[in-house]
Amino acid sequence: MDFARMFQNATPYILSGVKLCIEISALSLLIGVVLGLITCMFRLSKVRILRIIAEIYVWIIRGTPMLVQAMIIYFGIPQLVNLTRDPSEEKFVFTAFVAGTITLSLNAGAYMSEIFRSGIQAVPKGQSEAARSLGMTKFGTMRKIVIPQAFKIVIPSLVNQFIITIKDSSILSFIGLAEIVNEAKQYVGATYQYFETYIFAALCYLAITSVLMIISRYIEKRLKYANKETK
Amino acid sequence: MPTKKQNENFETEASFNDIVEKNKNENIENKVVISHLKKSFGKLEVLKDINLEVKKGEVVVVIGPSGSGKSTMLRCINRLEEPTGGKIFVDNVEMTGKKVKINKQRENIGMVFQQFNLFANKSVLDNIMLAPLDRKKMSKDEARKTALDLLKRIGLEDKANAFPSELSGGQQQRVAIVRALAMNPDIMLFDEPTSALDPEMVGEVLNVMKELAAAGMTMIVVTHEMGFAREVADRVIFMSDGYIVEEGAPKDVFDNPQEQRTKDFLNCIL
Repeated sequence: MDFARMFQNATPYILSGVKLCIEISALSLLIGVVLGLITCMFRLSKVRILRIIAEIYVWIIRGTPMLVQAMIIYFGIPQLVNLTRDPSEEKFVFTAFVAGTITLSLNAGAYMSEIFRSGIQAVPKGQSEAARSLGMTKFGTMRKIVIPQAFKIVIPSLVNQFIITIKDSSILSFIGLAEIVNEAKQYVGATYQYFETYIFAALCYLAITSVLMIISRYIEKRLKYANKETK
Repeated sequence: MPTKKQNENFETEASFNDIVEKNKNENIENKVVISHLKKSFGKLEVLKDINLEVKKGEVVVVIGPSGSGKSTMLRCINRLEEPTGGKIFVDNVEMTGKKVKINKQRENIGMVFQQFNLFANKSVLDNIMLAPLDRKKMSKDEARKTALDLLKRIGLEDKANAFPSELSGGQQQRVAIVRALAMNPDIMLFDEPTSALDPEMVGEVLNVMKELAAAGMTMIVVTHEMGFAREVADRVIFMSDGYIVEEGAPKDVFDNPQEQRTKDFLNCIL
């Protein structure tokens, strides 16, 4: 056991992994929220074809391992459409970061669409009826009345999904993304300090997710204070 | 033309006269016309054949046993429920028509719900301002002024920044009424507005409704408050099993009902 030596040598690598993990997770969650909202609207739509599209999307993402999806996207798709990975060529560069972002976003979006749907359905029907009776459009009612209330309901599940996405980004080490696990693996390869290095990696994830949990608890508290539940 | 009730008959602090005066479509005699309205939920036929005309300034109170279709009829008028058959005209516009601009029409038809349905995510003031800002494109200052003025009339201006959950049921329902009035509607629909209230709060809500009736608002009220029906209604409609069984002036319907079903119902509740 030599934590001191590991800390000294591994920290720069692991921290660059942490940076990448935060970057790709934040970007994917942002895209995922938008994707989730759109998918959720599709699922609640009256148009049958939109509902079917959304259902197939969620079905595929939920029913297959993310590792396999990442492999298909990173290794498979470039073969299919002849994308290049060589930065020297002036074509689009399909890096592990791009493929990883697509994979994570698709996953986050699928799960979040279910979360949003349950939230929207949990808002009492009378709320939208009241808005419609005043002449508000369906869209305006959604935007101003239903979604803000649904958002409050789904915050705990949403934060849970954020945490899952952050942890799932570790799977992207398999497609060579230089995030925390990959950096740790490389350091271990040179030093054989399995225990110390992986503990360090675990602590990094714990730190990121803890910050998220603290923020969410703060938001929940604020919302509860500003807007108590209707009896 | 029904007689406008005199304001002095009610112990009121404020009046809604000016609001009703601002109404549009002054010259239309029949505000609501319902002809052969039918509504089914799956196999359950709730409304079988409803025919009703409501004149300008008239207060029509709809009574009847639960499940008789009172609320469904009311909700068909502004198409919160889609009728399965028949026609409904509001201000000579066919609500059931294919080309109707339903949102525009609804601006003209205020509705008050049993469960108040104030927007839980908005303050009292924002509840009232929302639709005028969103639909009438009123300026923020103007909308706020109107909202505060309306709150003053119901004595709740000090609750402007409170959230609905901080109000009593009676206060919430009064706010819900002025929220509908903020759109300056021609017609007001009340769907059992006092049924979810504690008994001591029923009076304050009925008083606001009485003021509104006195100001000449066209109102259709579904309620179990027989005292209110007797005092305020121009016409009482008794519904049962999806039909209008009996209608007439309150004293006729209450004191001298013609139909057996009306008699049975009144015996149960009076």
